[in-house]
This record gives sequence, structure tokens and C-alpha cells, in this order.
Amino acid sequence: MTFFDLILRNLWKKKARSIGLLLAVAVAVMTVVALDVTSSGLEQSAAAIISVGKADFTVAQKGASSTLTSTIDRNELTRIRQTPGVLSAIGVLVETQHINADNPVFIEIGIQPSDLAAFGVKVVAGHSYSATSNAEVMLGWTAAANLGLHVGDHFQANGTRNTVVGIYSTGNAFGDAGAMFPLPAIQGYNRLPGIVTLAFVKVHPGYSIASVAARVAYDQPQLTTIRTANQFGRADTNLVYLQAAVNGSTVLAILIGAIIVGNTMLLSLFERTREFGLLRAFGWTRRRTVSLLLGESLLLAVVGAGVGVALSFVVTTVLAQLPALKGILHPNFTEGAFWRALFTALVMTFIGALYPTTRAAVLSPLKALSYE
Amino acid sequence: MSDPTLAVEVKRVTRVFPGQVNALAGVDLTVSDGETVAITGPSGCGKSTLLHLLAGIDSPTSGSVVVGGADLAQIRDLSRYRRNEVGLVFQFHNLLPQLSALANVEMPMFGTHRSSHKRKVRARRLLAQVDLAGYEDRLPTELSGGERQRVAIARALANDPRVLLADEPTGSLDSASTSRFLELIEQLGSSGMTIVMVTHAADVAAHAHRVITMKDGRIVDSTHAFDHDRFAMAT
Repeated sequence: MTFFDLILRNLWKKKARSIGLLLAVAVAVMTVVALDVTSSGLEQSAAAIISVGKADFTVAQKGASSTLTSTIDRNELTRIRQTPGVLSAIGVLVETQHINADNPVFIEIGIQPSDLAAFGVKVVAGHSYSATSNAEVMLGWTAAANLGLHVGDHFQANGTRNTVVGIYSTGNAFGDAGAMFPLPAIQGYNRLPGIVTLAFVKVHPGYSIASVAARVAYDQPQLTTIRTANQFGRADTNLVYLQAAVNGSTVLAILIGAIIVGNTMLLSLFERTREFGLLRAFGWTRRRTVSLLLGESLLLAVVGAGVGVALSFVVTTVLAQLPALKGILHPNFTEGAFWRALFTALVMTFIGALYPTTRAAVLSPLKALSYE
Repeated sequence: MSDPTLAVEVKRVTRVFPGQVNALAGVDLTVSDGETVAITGPSGCGKSTLLHLLAGIDSPTSGSVVVGGADLAQIRDLSRYRRNEVGLVFQFHNLLPQLSALANVEMPMFGTHRSSHKRKVRARRLLAQVDLAGYEDRLPTELSGGERQRVAIARALANDPRVLLADEPTGSLDSASTSRFLELIEQLGSSGMTIVMVTHAADVAAHAHRVITMKDGRIVDSTHAFDHDRFAMAT
């Protein structure tokens, strides 16, 4: 019999307790991973906007509660364009609209037709809208497929019957699932004349992107620059709060899990005190005795982590289908989520095991043998 | 310098438990290599306490316990001592209920650098030695009292100890199982193993080379010939 066999037999002997402990770990891991995957998915959805335009960096209003509430006026956009090293700065207005139950959060991008090519938009069917039209729209190819619309069809949006004049592709899933309108038209629909949400900046070859971005932020401190999705919180404080809530919930889940693990292990220690005393009397070292107890818990933690990840997959998939989250939440299962699950399970087990294993380590064989 | 022919040497040992209970009040005892000794006496006389000191699971308040030439007070790692130098048999076998007979015998061999395979082979051999070949996969609940005690003996012999210590080993056995147990003890004794048994049973004491009688934490008699009348008076 190997040490691992012994661990397995001990766990098998107390099946109900082992399953209980495993589920406690799994539920805690599921909570942590589901929150992480959900927030990461929401963050990814929100941050996807910055990767639509093929820009070196994006400029937004600093500290806006969300990207969609960011406002950059005409003067600010002009100053960005005048910053040394800036090749181009394309202003776009991004809004969302409820189209139908399958598209509760439909993305609408207002952009001048002259900026489309620089923004990375390819017209794959039909043609671009005119700069001054109030009733023309281009649909992303995914949106067109989802809505079953073609060039020449009509698309009801912003209280207007728009003609689909073209189908476009950006190579970005987020951008291709939306629609593009002439910028003045969408500014008019939303009563935001001269306002854009984001500015997509390209830098002259030979200039440092970081330096130019820093200069823009320095010249206009009310604005912030974003180069990566990680920096997105600068222009979307909701995501910062969301991440803080996720972190807080993670700590809480770990603590609750650790208490359950510790309680179960302590119960196991009390029940098996004579057994541990016996093993010590046969010459088992403290380390080996503690390893047995810890090994049992760690095995349950690792299996619990696996079960927790599987449960979180189910939970987030169900959540993503809820009407309120459909189209917004795309569960983002990354390798990091799996490591986080394992880390959560191990930290939880370590904290929970601290006291029981300390007690096991100081157990006197004689006292343990006479324990009733 | 201890006598190399002595397996056990206990000098002026006292053991005072909290509440000033004097379990042992100055015990001197020597056991020669290969000798079988029975310790008897009324309940509470300190005989189990003495056995616990020899087993290295308790420490004396004063005095010294030397086993195989090593003073237990000077040994830093008593786990190693318990694993290699002594084998323990209890009154109620104390087998681990979740493990088979074979696995129970393997338990003391963990930490001895024997591979899993070698542990298994040795455990099988020991079970065969106590006439339990074919019982390897049985759980303790599937064994009779006598069979369980024989598994416990096999387990005590797992690491080929210098001294076998038995605390009331026949206390929970019927007469047939007791006879079988005593045969085994005699076999082990004749193979040169040192055996120290704590017992209330006259038939067990009768198998010892020497019977030591304790009372109130002291040795009051040590005789080489088993005397039934004296034994009856002492217990």
C-alpha cells in the first residue's frame, strides 16, 4: 500500500464527510471562478470597443462611470489631433440600443465615412453611407446575419427607418455585431452635437506610442489614454468597482470555505485521535501524521477545484442566457481562471487546515491512545 | 556503561501525573536479551505506566529508561525508536478499521525506506507467521477477536523490534485464542526476542521466564519461578 492509497482509503471510509468537504470547496471555487469569469467577460465586452479601431491608443474621458458615458468635445478632439506625433485621431460616438429579445444591447457606432478605412472597416457588400444622410446604415456582417438583413433592406433604429446600404467587416467580433451610422446622424439622435465617446489615435512612424499617449494625457488631464484592456478601468470606473466587488467576494468565499474545511478537518481529527495516537505509537513521525491529514484535505481540494470549475462553467453559461445579460456577458474561461480555481482551493485548504494540523502535530501518542 | 546483555534497564524511575498522582515511585528493573517477563499487580499499580515508558510514548518524571543500550531521554527522535526498537500489542488490538489485515501490518513500516512492494511482501510473511495466510484482504470487522490480536502481533513485529511490549494482550480473548496467542509468544521467545507483558492472567504469566509483581508504583516481587498462589495474592 502506498501513502496515496492510504489517503484514498481514509477518504473512502468516510464518504459522506469527504463528499461534504469536496462540495464545500467546489462551491467556494465555483463562486470565485464564476465571478471572475463573469467580470472578465463583462470587462472584455466593454473593452472590446477599443480594439475595433486599428489604433495605437484610444482616448476617453477620465473617470467616466462607463465607456458609453465618456464624452470628448470637438475642441478636445482637435487638440488631440494637434498633439506632436499624432498621425490621425478618429472620433466615434458609441451607443447601445435594445433591438429585440435576442439583441438587448445592440452596439451602434457613429463614424464619418471618410474615417472608415483608417478605422479598419471594410465594406464587403453594398457601399458606405453618405456623410450627411439621416436614414442610412451599414451593418456588421455578424449583425446582418443575426438579423437576417441584406443590402437594401430596412433597419429600424433610433426611431428611424434606415436603409441598409452596406455590410462591413472590421475583423473584430464586437464591431461586426453592431451597426455604423454617419456621425452627425447618431449625434443628432442622441442630442449630442459635436460630441464623441472615444478618439482612436494613430501615431506617426518613428514616434513612441507611449510618449505620445503620455503627452495627450498631460495636455488634457480631463482625458485618459488606453493602450490595453487592462487600462480600461481608467475610462470605466464601473469595471473598477466590479473588480473590487469580485475581489471582496473572492476573499469572503475563501474565508467561508476555509472555515468549513477547518471545521470538517477538526471533526475528523477528534474522531480519529486514537488512530493518530496509534500511528504515532508505531513510530510515525509528526510530519508523516500531519502529511496524512493534509494529504487527504489537499486531494479533496484539488478534486473540489475541478468540480468547482465545472460548476462555474454551467452557472456562467446559464447566466449568459438570461435576458438581462444576453449579448453582454460572454463567459471568458481563460487559463488564469483554472489557476485561480486551484489557488483558491489550496489557499482555502491551507487556511482551514492550519489549526487542525497544528493540533495533530502536537498530539501526544499516550493522550491520543487514551482519548475516548 | 550499560550491560550489553541487557535489553531493558530501568533505574530509579518515577512518574508523577498532574494532581501529584505517583504512578511509579522509584522502579528499578532489568530485562535480559531474549527474556520473557510478565508484569503483574492490581489495577492502578503502575504496570501499564511502566510499559508506556518502555514504549517511548511517555517520559519518566525522574530516573532513566535504557533500551538496547540507548537512554530514551537522550534520543531526539523517539518516533524512530518506537518504529525500530519496540513492537506494541494492546488489549483491544487497536487495528485501523478502514484497512485490511495486510494494510494494518504495513502501517509501522511507513518511513522505514522499504518500498511499497517490500512492505507488502513482509506483511504477507508476518501474517503467515501468525497463521493468517489467506486473511490478508479481510477488514478487522471480518476477523474474530483472536485473529485480530494475531494481526496486532504481526503488526508489532513489522520492523523486527528488539523488544515486544504487550499490554494485557489476552484481556479480550477467549481461552482458545489465548492458547494460540501464548503459543506465538513462546515461539517468539524461543527465537530470542525480548518480551515484556503486562497481564492479570495467570496462564499468561506462567509462560514468562520471570514474573514481576508491582504494587503502589513499586516492584514488590521478582521471581523466576511462576507461583500460582503468589500470583493470585498479588493480583
